[in-house]
Amino acid sequence: MKKWISLSIFLAALLLTACSNSETGQEFTNITNQDWEEIEASAEGSTVRLFMWGGDEGINQYIDEWVTPQLEDTYGVSLERVPMDTGEILQKLQTEKQAGKQDGTIDIVWINAENFKNAKENDLLAGSFVDVLPNFNEYYDTEDPAFQTDFGTAVEGMEAPWGKVQFVFHYDSEKIETPPASFEELKTWVEENPGRFTYPNAEDFTGNAFLRHVLYANAEQPSDIYEQPLDEEQISEAAEGTWTYLNDIKPNLWRSGSHYPNSLTELDRLYSQGEVWMTMGYNEARAESLIEEGVFPESTESFVMEPGSIGNTHFLSIPFNSTNPEGALAAINFMLSPEAQLEKLKPDYWGENTPISIDRLPEEMKQKFQSVDRGESVLSQSELEESFLPESEAAYVEWMEEQWFNEVVQQ
Amino acid sequence: MKWSSNKSWLLFLPAVLFLILPLYGLAAAISQSFQQQGEWTLSAYQQLFQSDRFLSAVGFSLEVAFLSSLLSLLIGLLFTRSFYPYLASHTPRLIVWMPMLFPHFVWGYMVILLLSETGVLAQVFTLLGGDDFPTLTQDSRGIGIILTYVWKEVPFVILMLLPVYATIKPEYYDLVKTLGGGAWSQFKQVEWPHLLPVMIETFLIVFAFTISAYEVPALLGTTFPEMLSVLSYNWFYGSSWDDRSLAFAAMVLLSLFILILTFIGYIYMNKKRFRMMKGKS
Repeated sequence: MKKWISLSIFLAALLLTACSNSETGQEFTNITNQDWEEIEASAEGSTVRLFMWGGDEGINQYIDEWVTPQLEDTYGVSLERVPMDTGEILQKLQTEKQAGKQDGTIDIVWINAENFKNAKENDLLAGSFVDVLPNFNEYYDTEDPAFQTDFGTAVEGMEAPWGKVQFVFHYDSEKIETPPASFEELKTWVEENPGRFTYPNAEDFTGNAFLRHVLYANAEQPSDIYEQPLDEEQISEAAEGTWTYLNDIKPNLWRSGSHYPNSLTELDRLYSQGEVWMTMGYNEARAESLIEEGVFPESTESFVMEPGSIGNTHFLSIPFNSTNPEGALAAINFMLSPEAQLEKLKPDYWGENTPISIDRLPEEMKQKFQSVDRGESVLSQSELEESFLPESEAAYVEWMEEQWFNEVVQQ
Repeated sequence: MKWSSNKSWLLFLPAVLFLILPLYGLAAAISQSFQQQGEWTLSAYQQLFQSDRFLSAVGFSLEVAFLSSLLSLLIGLLFTRSFYPYLASHTPRLIVWMPMLFPHFVWGYMVILLLSETGVLAQVFTLLGGDDFPTLTQDSRGIGIILTYVWKEVPFVILMLLPVYATIKPEYYDLVKTLGGGAWSQFKQVEWPHLLPVMIETFLIVFAFTISAYEVPALLGTTFPEMLSVLSYNWFYGSSWDDRSLAFAAMVLLSLFILILTFIGYIYMNKKRFRMMKGKS
């Protein structure tokens, strides 16, 4: 009996291994206070683990086939990409935080929007670091509002802008001559072509963004939404319009709206099989690689509608318990460099837009950026800029998830 | 004497070590289901019972899990009973157990490839001149989920029931036959008493699994109604971390429900065994 007790005490002690409250914040400030040369020197020869959403082959190849070897050559830093959904990455960090684990396995995390908000509010990030990155200071407009707030959450230097994307719709130009130009026209189109349109459900990142577009379209002007913190009373009229619109199109959606695709992948599959004639996505150039792989028909083109298309910036950040913050800083600095951004812009791998200020680049680099051909299916830069709408506060995402379920699905 | 008690102690140790992680997880889940923003409260449970979404998920989950388990058991029983002489040899047995080698989500994808509106079966159906292929996957009745589970669990039921049939002595059948009993009496008098405890056990295992597993309903389920596991996952990984206590509360209630079911099954079976030991029936 005695042994039994002592053993249980021992096991309990094992489980509750002391939550040592070491001063992460202070340590991290000491690191970022060093000269950049010192940071680079201590980064050399180390391994950096980048945890990121791994659902896009083009993005994965860009990291594995371009960034990793280049980083090894320039900084001697070896990069390990670990695919994981961002929500799960944060959960892992949260669990480690609760367990008091100071030596984490994640050095860099790809993050934005409500994930950033959750990470910041729960102290899962290391702290402010963008000011030390030479490439950020030299080639980026550090005062750009798009880098100051992320879905309404103040960035405070805790994440560095890595890319920016804009929401577009895709259609098959062989089946549709002129795509709708506004949400009203989309409604008419859906009525005329029953069963040929649907959108992913509100839990999905893309589906939620589509729904926020409908909300923007039903507000008096989009800025009523994106310039306001969420206030359900104030937006009640726009919300009513949104639910009416969605319930109106519902009977003419694919499967009469009784099932919404669980993910964008599912919608893409329906589109590639010709079940539906439109798809969408939060990256204006994503159709290029899908056409190349033969998933989308070659006649796929993209369009945006009135009142505009929402765009956002996404970032790289360092978790509170990274064991290699110097390596992480060096890697992030490299991923922000004009060379890395140029390669990212080319349609070969990812084809994603850059948050870099092209005006600040040396002449030769500037020309390289301007001469990149992003592909047939991508709208022109001016068209994208004209329709650009900023994201609303992160709280809208959550609000939309809940309300859509109550107001549209259960009706 | 001392030595032997020490030894039985050691035998107990692996089980304790093995259970520590799940038990710790359960304890953590229970404690988090009672917390919101660091304060102890019952509000997660109150919110659950006021949420239509949760209540309809409960109904749907019970229905799907019950139907899947019952169908698996019935089909597995019929199959084992009809074919157990053949299943004694290796090759047919391995073929029957084949679906168990695949993970559930692989089987789920296979069902989609076969039965969705653009799947193999639908194409054959259209070729044969049919139109309007029924919606069998991602449907609001849970047909796709049930089909996947039944297909996957029947081999498991066979695995559980085969040894039972293998141990029934042929003399019992002869006895019933000499007393003039038909096929039904053979089943009722000889097989059923042997089968019942294993059937209850198998039902509990399959039911507990189907009501709480995530991947199959996530793949083959529809937007509404949804299974409890999918709803909890959405609450847990959704953008609002405040909903996490709801996810924990829902899962705690589910665990409690399964525990009670198991307990009832256990008591019932023990009673039976007790009676058998005393020689009454």
